[in-house]
Amino acid sequence: VKTPGAAAGTARPVDAARSVLPRITARVIPLLALVGITSGAVAWMFGYHPAASAAWGATTVIALVPMLIRIGVDVRHGRIGVDVIALLAMAGALILGLCLALLLNRPFKGQKLVQTVLLLPLMVAPVIAAIMLRWMFNDQFGIVNVMLEAIGIEGRSWFTDRWSAFAVIVMTDIWLWTPWFTLLLLAGLQSLPREPFEAAAIDGATRWRVFRYLTLPMLRPVIVVCVVIRAIDAFRTFDIVWTLTGGGPARSTELFSLYAYEHAFLNLNFGRGSAAAIVGALIIVALGLVLYRILDRAVEVSR
Amino acid sequence: MVERSFLAHLAPGARKAFFALTIAAVCLLFAFPVLWLMLTSIRPQTGIYAVHRGLEFTLGNYVTVAKNERIVEAFVNSGLIATLATVFSLMVTVTSGYMLSRFSGGIARTWFGSIYVFRCVPYISWVLPLYFVTQNWGIYDTYLGLLLPHIAVHICFFSWLMKGFFDGIDPSMEYAALIDGCTRWGAFFRVALPSAIPAISALAVLCWLFTWNEFLFALILTGQKTPVVTVVMAQFVHEMGIEWHLMSTTAVLALVPAFLLTLFGQKYVIRGLRI
Repeated sequence: VKTPGAAAGTARPVDAARSVLPRITARVIPLLALVGITSGAVAWMFGYHPAASAAWGATTVIALVPMLIRIGVDVRHGRIGVDVIALLAMAGALILGLCLALLLNRPFKGQKLVQTVLLLPLMVAPVIAAIMLRWMFNDQFGIVNVMLEAIGIEGRSWFTDRWSAFAVIVMTDIWLWTPWFTLLLLAGLQSLPREPFEAAAIDGATRWRVFRYLTLPMLRPVIVVCVVIRAIDAFRTFDIVWTLTGGGPARSTELFSLYAYEHAFLNLNFGRGSAAAIVGALIIVALGLVLYRILDRAVEVSR
Repeated sequence: MVERSFLAHLAPGARKAFFALTIAAVCLLFAFPVLWLMLTSIRPQTGIYAVHRGLEFTLGNYVTVAKNERIVEAFVNSGLIATLATVFSLMVTVTSGYMLSRFSGGIARTWFGSIYVFRCVPYISWVLPLYFVTQNWGIYDTYLGLLLPHIAVHICFFSWLMKGFFDGIDPSMEYAALIDGCTRWGAFFRVALPSAIPAISALAVLCWLFTWNEFLFALILTGQKTPVVTVVMAQFVHEMGIEWHLMSTTAVLALVPAFLLTLFGQKYVIRGLRI
């Protein structure tokens, strides 16, 4: 499996020293360019924003400080911090996707049909998915409560409590992304070489050991790619949460993208909204670079 | 292991039945929300609050939606934008993916680094400055104002996938072509491009779906003049309540082109996802 970073990952001990510099520049220059462009855009915006136009002459960084402090206060109130929940959803989807991929990795009747059904969430716009789930979890008319009451459990209003609202969001996210993982992992499973598995069968290895010591290590690069792609996407979720809860109840399910949107376009406080957007972007880019290192190493090990 | 053989002794077909049941349950779980949406869309307005009860079905919702000019316009707009974005971004991604796969060195590395970093930046951080840029350039609420950001985002994501596809194609054919006197561009157009057609189809399908389904860009960069499907759908939620029947009808209609396209491209998508 060749993945991003294959071009950069050709360092051998001999020319390791020589290749360190370009490796660093390849990561730092884009980052600098990004910071430059985004801060330029922010500066531009402050020009539009009358209250902050005094800061327009000073450097953007100085203009950002009061914004950052206020956002920092919001973080302490646990408003932006809930982004971590996105990771939960991702882990759930990954594990479920892996199970499904293992289950589907053998020929059986009707495989085509199952595959098509699994592709369904890929076609559904996240907004539609969120609308559907919101409808199904409606406290008065939703099918979920009806079903729960049919088996004797009292239904509840899902979107008025923080944790049940979270549960619905995570469920939607898992529904949307599990198929994606399943397909990627299934494709990975099917391209694994046969011989090690035959050898293991001859040696009489148990199913669990084959999975633990053969499948999992050989599948690692694919898993890492999945995790990297999803981790980045999970942090920038907007549409599901916006349609499902709108950040409520009492802003407790507000992700940073919702926070930025709300401040910029609903409260018309563009300065604060864009500051939040930039901070979020910087955090995610930093995370992305760390993930990139992991990805690079995982791919190198596999070769 | 012990448990399994015990089960096998107890009932020979148990494992097979268990497998089939699991698959069926999973399929039901994944299909249920979509089926439920379809059911809601064919219920009359009086019946939607008890979708599971009653047997009145109607196609009236579809008629209402088809008569609504704004929704029809939104479908046309979305289709046009998705198609144009796919065409234009593929023009760049195919060549840039090829470059990332076949060339190494400073330029390729820097390009890869930048598309990776740009891909990491969340949409909300793009869309805030873009809002001002499009207004300043006078392209807010036009096709161009929505197309350009989409193309830019797709270039970042799909160059990465495209690189993976080209990595999977053996370059020795191109080398042979080069030795036979082909230019580098000739080798790309005559040898590499034809063998990458399945991958390009897969990308085209994904790209179209992403643009068709995208919400945030459309929400912020369009207004009254250029309605888009996803935004129109979200607008059924208003102060008077939510018009579930019309919303689900529009959602089902929005699913149709995506479904047809995926059915057509399924073979390619599954093969193409092999990174």
